[in-house]
Parts: sequence; C-alpha cells; structure tokens
Amino acid sequence: MTIKPTPSLARVKTVLIADDEPSMRLLVHATIESDEYMVLEAADGDEAWTLIQKFRPALVLLDVQMPGMDGLSLLRAVKADPDLQQTHVILLTAKAQETDVEAGLIGGADFYLTKPFSPLDLLTRVEEALQL
Amino acid sequence: MPQPGETRRKPGWSLARYMGLAVFALVAVTACAALFVRIQSEQDATQAASNDATFAAQKAGGNIQSGLDTIQAVTAPIAADPGTAAVFADPSTCKIGYAPVGPFAEGHIDLIQIDGSVVCSSLKPAAGTASRPYQGQEWLAATSRAIVAPVLDPVTGHQVAVFAYPIAGLGVIAWFVDLAPLGPKLSSEFGSGTHQLEFVMANSHGVVIARSIDPAAWIGQDISGTTFARSAATGLSPDLGGTPRIYGTWSFPDAGWRLYVGADRESALAAGDQLANRDLVIVLAGIGVLLMLGFIIHRRIARPLQQLGLRVRDARPGDSSARTVSGAAEIEALDEDFERLMASVKSQLAERLKSEEAAKVSEHNYRALFEGHPQPMWIYDIETLAFLDVNDATIQTYGYSREEFLAMTVEAIRPPEDVAKFKELVVNPPVADRSGPWRHRYKDGEVSQVLITSHLVRFAGRDARFMMAENLTETQRLETELHQAHARVEAEAELSKMKDELVSMVSHELRTPLASVVGFAELLVSRPVTDGQRKEYLGVMLQEGRRLTALINDFLDLQRIESGRETMRLAPADLGALIERAVVAAGADVTTPIEIKLAPGLPLAMIDGDAIHRVLGNLISNARKYSPAGGRIVIGAGLVAGMVHVYVRDHGLGIPRESVPLLSQKFYRVDTSDRRLIKGTGLGLTISKRIVEAHGGTVEVRSEGLGKGSVFTFTLPIALQRDTSGDVLVVEDDAGFAHLLEAELALKGLTIVWAVDAESAEALSQRHVARAIVLDLLLPGLQGEDFLRRFRAVHGPNVPVVVVTVKSLEPDESLVLQKAGVTAILRKGPGTAKAAAELIVLALVNEPVAV
Repeated sequence: MTIKPTPSLARVKTVLIADDEPSMRLLVHATIESDEYMVLEAADGDEAWTLIQKFRPALVLLDVQMPGMDGLSLLRAVKADPDLQQTHVILLTAKAQETDVEAGLIGGADFYLTKPFSPLDLLTRVEEALQL
Repeated sequence: MPQPGETRRKPGWSLARYMGLAVFALVAVTACAALFVRIQSEQDATQAASNDATFAAQKAGGNIQSGLDTIQAVTAPIAADPGTAAVFADPSTCKIGYAPVGPFAEGHIDLIQIDGSVVCSSLKPAAGTASRPYQGQEWLAATSRAIVAPVLDPVTGHQVAVFAYPIAGLGVIAWFVDLAPLGPKLSSEFGSGTHQLEFVMANSHGVVIARSIDPAAWIGQDISGTTFARSAATGLSPDLGGTPRIYGTWSFPDAGWRLYVGADRESALAAGDQLANRDLVIVLAGIGVLLMLGFIIHRRIARPLQQLGLRVRDARPGDSSARTVSGAAEIEALDEDFERLMASVKSQLAERLKSEEAAKVSEHNYRALFEGHPQPMWIYDIETLAFLDVNDATIQTYGYSREEFLAMTVEAIRPPEDVAKFKELVVNPPVADRSGPWRHRYKDGEVSQVLITSHLVRFAGRDARFMMAENLTETQRLETELHQAHARVEAEAELSKMKDELVSMVSHELRTPLASVVGFAELLVSRPVTDGQRKEYLGVMLQEGRRLTALINDFLDLQRIESGRETMRLAPADLGALIERAVVAAGADVTTPIEIKLAPGLPLAMIDGDAIHRVLGNLISNARKYSPAGGRIVIGAGLVAGMVHVYVRDHGLGIPRESVPLLSQKFYRVDTSDRRLIKGTGLGLTISKRIVEAHGGTVEVRSEGLGKGSVFTFTLPIALQRDTSGDVLVVEDDAGFAHLLEAELALKGLTIVWAVDAESAEALSQRHVARAIVLDLLLPGLQGEDFLRRFRAVHGPNVPVVVVTVKSLEPDESLVLQKAGVTAILRKGPGTAKAAAELIVLALVNEPVAV
C-alpha cells in the first residue's frame, strides 16, 4: 500500500486501486496521478476491503479477477454498506464476456473497462466519477 | 460288482477257517493236557499206593512189635518167679491161660522140661499126646529168650512162632503163637482201603512167617532167592504169586523178622486212571461246550456275514431283492444299514444317470449349435491366447484350416496395428461383453469389421473365452458409425467446452500483460513524461512483453504436447550429464546453490533429452522462484522399482496441502501474499507434467506445508537392452537428422542406437560397442572431438567413424580428426544422411571379423 501525501488530507478525496498485478497498479496509478485526490493501492481483495472501510474512498478501481475477495464480491460489499453509498466503483477486467459486464453493471458499478484499456479513457471515467 | 480285468483284493481267511483253527488248537491242547493228566495221575496213584503200603507197614509193624513187647513184659517175670519153678515140682499147681496179645490172637503157653515133656499147658491135655513132644527142640537148650518161627507145633500141628524163656535148670516157659491167622488179622486190621494190601513177614533166613493171602500155603516156604526177596525192599516188586505190588517194609531187630506190606499196583493204577478219566471227561465236556459255542457263532455271525458279503457282492443298484440276512443283532443291523445304503445308492445313481444323460444331451445340443452356427465362433485360451476350438463358419470365413487355427493364437487374425489395442483388452477383460467394431484379418489379407460377443468359459479344463464374430451388416455399420458419430460429437462438445474455458483463461492471462504494454505505450505517446517515468514505463513494457512471449510459447508448447503433435523422440541418455547441463543452464545463484546427488550405477534413461532438459529447467526455476529467502536446492536421481526417479528439493515457501492437487492445472498459481511478486506463466508445471507423462512417467509433489519447502519428483523409463544396441551409434543432438540417418541405414539393413549427447554415447559404448559411429561435433555437453579421442583410447582404432557437422572446419581441425581415425567428414546439408549411410556401409564391408 502506498499513500501519496496531499496538501490537505482531510479535505481531499481518496481513490483506491485494487489489482493483484503490480504492473497494472503502476499503470493505473500513473494514469490517474493527481493533486486533487489521494491514491491508495491494494494487492488483493481482502486488503482492498480493509482500506475501503478505513478511508471510505470516493472511487474504487477494482480488478475483477483477484485473489481473496474478487472484484464482484467487493462491489457487492460496497453497495451493501450504507456508509459507502457515495462510493463510486469502476471495474477493470480481463474477461471479455458480456455476462461479466452485465454482472458488473447490475451490481451497481459506474463503469466497466476491459483490458487492454486506454489510460486516457480511464482518466476520463475517473474524473467523471469524481465530478471534478 | 467286480468287472473283468479288475483286480480283486486277495481275500483273507474266512471266519469259519479261523474258528476251525481255534478248534484244532483246542483239541491239540486238550490231548496234551489229557496225556499230562494221565502221566501225572499214574505217578500220583503209584505214590499214593506207596504211601499207603508204607503207612500200613508202620502201623502193622508197630502192632506186632507192641505184641512182642507185651509178651516180653509178661513172660520174663513169670520165668524168674520161684512159683513157676514150684510148678515143675508139683504139676498139679499148673494153672496157665492164654490171652491174645496184639496181633497174636491164638496159641498156647506151656511150661516144658528140658527133655521136651510138657509140665503145664494152657491147652487141655489131649489124648494121644506124646510124653515128650518137644524133645530135641533147639530152643529148649537156649540160655536166654529165644524167638523161633516158623515152627510146626507137634502138639497142635499148627505153624507157630515160639517165644521161649529159660527157667534155670528146669526147662522153659514158651509161647506158641499160631501164625496162620496172623496174616489175615493184619490184613483185616490194617489192610482196609483201596489198595488190597498184602502182608508178608519173613524171618532172617528168608522163610515166610506169615502171609495175609493164602497163609497156609506159604508159611514155612523159603523164599530167599525169589524175585520178591530181591526187590521187595526197593518198593516195586511182584509178590510171591507174581502180581506186581508196591511195598512198604518194617523190621523187628530183636526177632530178626521183616514185614512187607504190598499194595496192588494194578488197582492203584486203575484208581489213578479213574481220576485221570474223570479229568478227561471234564476237559472233553469243556471242548464240547466250546464246539457248541463255535457252531453257534458260525451260525449267527460267520454265516450271516458270508451271506451279507454275497449280498454286497451281488448287489446291483436297482435290485430290490427282499432277501435279508438273519444273524446276530449287530449283523442284522449291518444288513439293515446295507439295505439303506443300497437304497440311497440306487436313488443317487438314478439321479446321476439322469443328469449325465441331460449333460450329454445338452453338450450334444451345444456342440451342434457351435459346429453348425452360421456365425464364426471360436474358443481361445485366455492365458496363451491359443485357439482351442473353431467352428466351420470360422474356417470358411477366415480361410484357415482347423489345423492351422489350432496352431495359431488369436492375435494372428488381427491386423498387426490392432494387436496392442487387443492385448490391452485381454489384460483386463470383462466377464462377458459385446464390443466392436474390431478389425479382423482373413488369411487372404482382407480385413473385415466385426462385432464380437464374448464370454468367459471353461473349456477342456482351461480358462477360456468364447467368441462369436458378426460381420457388420450395412445397417449395423451405419448404426455403429452413427453411434461413433454421436460419441465424436459429444467428445467434440466436451473439447469445445474445454477450449472455451481455455480461451477465457488464456484471454485473461494475455490481456493483463497486454494491458500494461498498450497502456504504458499510450501514456508515453499521449503525455509528457519525465526521463525517470519513461524509463520506468519502458521497463514495465519490456517485462510484460517478455511475459507475453513466454506465455504464448508455453501455451503453444502445451497445445502441441497435449494434441500429441509433439512426439517424444526417445533415446537412451545419461541423466547425470543432462542434469548437470540443466544446472549449468540455470546459472549460478549464491542464495540458492544447487547440489546434485546421483545414485551410483544409474542406468541410461529412455528419454527425449530436450524435453527432459526443459522439465529440469522448469523445476529448478520454480525452486528458485519459490525460495525468495534463498536456500539450498538439491537435485537427485536414483533407480526405484525399474524407473529412474528424479527429484528437485527446495527449502523455500512450500505448498499448502490443499493446493497440491491443483498445481498441475493450467495457470494455477499458489496464491499467498508472499508469492505475489513471483513471476510465472502458470504453465510450467503443466508442461513438465505432460512431458513426463508422455514418457510414461509421473510427477509427484510433496510439501511438508507452508514454509517447509517442496519436493518435485518425476519418474522416467530406463533404457532396455533393445534400446541400447544397434549396428551404428549415432551421436547427434538433432533428432531430425538422427531419424533421417536411421531411415537411410535401415534401407541398408542396419539398425541404429541413438545418443543425443556424447556422455550418453560413452555410457552406451560401455555396454555395447557399435560396428560404426556417426558423430556430430557440436553437442550439448562434451564435444564430438573429445568423445572421439576418449572412445579411441578405450575401444581402439577399429570402429569406423563418420563425422557430420554444420561447422566449417579449419584445416588443422580436420587434421586432428583424421589422426583420430575418422573415415570421412561430411558437412551437413541435403543428402548428407544418405551419403553418411553409404560411407558406413563401405566401411563395414572391410570390417574385420567381429570377435
């Protein structure tokens, strides 16, 4: 887990990246790096859930296929928690099947990106979600 | 019932014979006993007679002696009495009376003057009596008592015994005892009993004094010189009349007399005989009883037994004769038992006959069914696979004669390529089944598709299998094809499902690194980045790009192996050298040093060297990757149960128990936080496993658990004799060229043994020196030139060697080779294999005769 210091921790929004692939975390982190919000990283579902409960991030970027709690389980957990109603979720997945996309959207995800994705596209979606 | 030719047991003696023998023995013993009794009783009778005679002699002698003593006691005082002398002076005072003394019943007592005249007598004086009757008698002059007998008394005319006592100067007082009644008196007093005793008394001159029998005739007879006088004292003697007697005797010392008492021997013996006869009668009565008993036994036991024996001998099952045997209770019981036995045998025999009949009918029916059935049928031995019986349809259809069939095994009616499949089924056959279609080959070579119905049977005492072949009719063929098509469709559906899953998995595995590559590329293209960022991004792209390449390679390899397209090119190989090369290829790492432990005498393994090299590389790489904290890695090999076992042991993270079975799944990676950073495609172990399995081996994973390291073990087949011998040793790491050579040499009638490296070639040469060698110079481990030098050093210069290489050799290199006795050096290219084969053949023409 890496926490990038920001000028005012209390006010800034938090974004959590949950992916078991270090190269993927690096790509996502590099893409959405911003002074406007703090970026957290988690390497598996369980670590991600701990961080979500602790920091209540405004946005969670979830890899669907992860060790521990997978992305869809985390999504359900977030949506079931009343304290996390404001949390936006974007799913990142290597699975291309329609059923997976549908499952993600029905589960209440804001958006769904299939690997390989365009980093710029991702950035747009993140900014939309954070309504910057 | 004994059949002709059947040997009957030699019979023992019959009971009657035994009994006869017993009776005979009894009679013999009895006769002996009777004889003994008779002899004994004779002795006893003689003894008894002797005893009787002796006893009577004692009694009678004592009686006589006491008489003599009484006479002495009475007479001696009278003789000395003066009164007696006075009688001589005055005969008128004479007063004498005779009293019987002892046995001396009659007689008289007289006082007699010396001139022989009687002074006084107990007898009344008789007229005519001479005045001096005893004149001249010697006893008148005796000075002491005189006993004289026998004396004829001139007064009485009787034979008498005289007891004379002298009276000084006057005369004598004399007893005249009549002798005639003495003998009968003794006889009547002491001779009673069975032995008719004879009493005889004689004086010292052998003159008879008294006799109990006919005394008048015998008294006064001189018997000295007779047989009696000589032998009566010994006990057994004829008496005076010649009758044999047994004598007892008594002596009177003062009178000089001797008394003989004789028992009649005949009557004694007769009495003994009587006793003996009584005993004999008892014995004979006993024998009679025994004979009676024997007869009864014979009647009640032996004869019934004989009858029963006859019944048993003549008994026929089904003979319901009511003839029974009467005899002792046991015999009758035995007879009843026999009766029951016969009844039981009869019923069982009837049953057996019935079932035998049924079996015969059944066998006949089956035989007819088998022989005449239009479908080919045969029976074969499931152990030897030899035909045991075939029916006519089989002979007509398959074209072999019955004799040919019975000399063949069932493998012979199958196309050679199907034999392996058939044998597989034979190893573990179902009890009964219907299977097919199978391909059967007729004698003329035509191959037909048949359905087989089969089941296990017993035939001629062997475990066998009955087979019926049906030629596929058009309908059946279509049905079967349809069935097969269905099966294919199902298999394909299954395959398709597996493919879908695989595609999904592969797409995921490929998309992740692809996302990194594409993503960072886009960032670099679209954004201003610092030099540091650029370097970092490009580094990730390179790494992920390589990962993609590795994944694609692994995946394709796996596909090739699993689809069976990549076949293992097996060759005998020295595993030790292979392991060493794999370790060298893995490179040195100070934190995870590799130790090699080879069991001594490891045999050559029959393997695809490249494939096993890859397996070893993969396992070493895994061991290193999963030992992030370092630790020794051990690679070992040994022979266990006919397989070479190779293991790679690390001291790293270990594997959770529940993950062990999942390890060989594609893309499966043990997921714990400590191994997130470890890179891998997740295919390495799967590929390794497939390679080992393609060799007929297995892969086993063991781990004591997390943090305790793991052991990966795989097994490989060892090279058999036929794998390691051939005419030409081909030392060549290029499998393609090796196979080309094999084909070319096969055309020349030569076989090859292939070694993928020089180390294996050396090991092979230790077992078997090939007639010729084709040698590649560029080899994985030891180089061709080095092998050649060492080979020549060990095996000498005679084996022709053709060098085949891609290298363009410098002149000095060629020279070195030629010095080492190389027949030819060929540059690899089209036609090299053919050329090499021809060169080998040429070299072998001049081959010295093999020793």
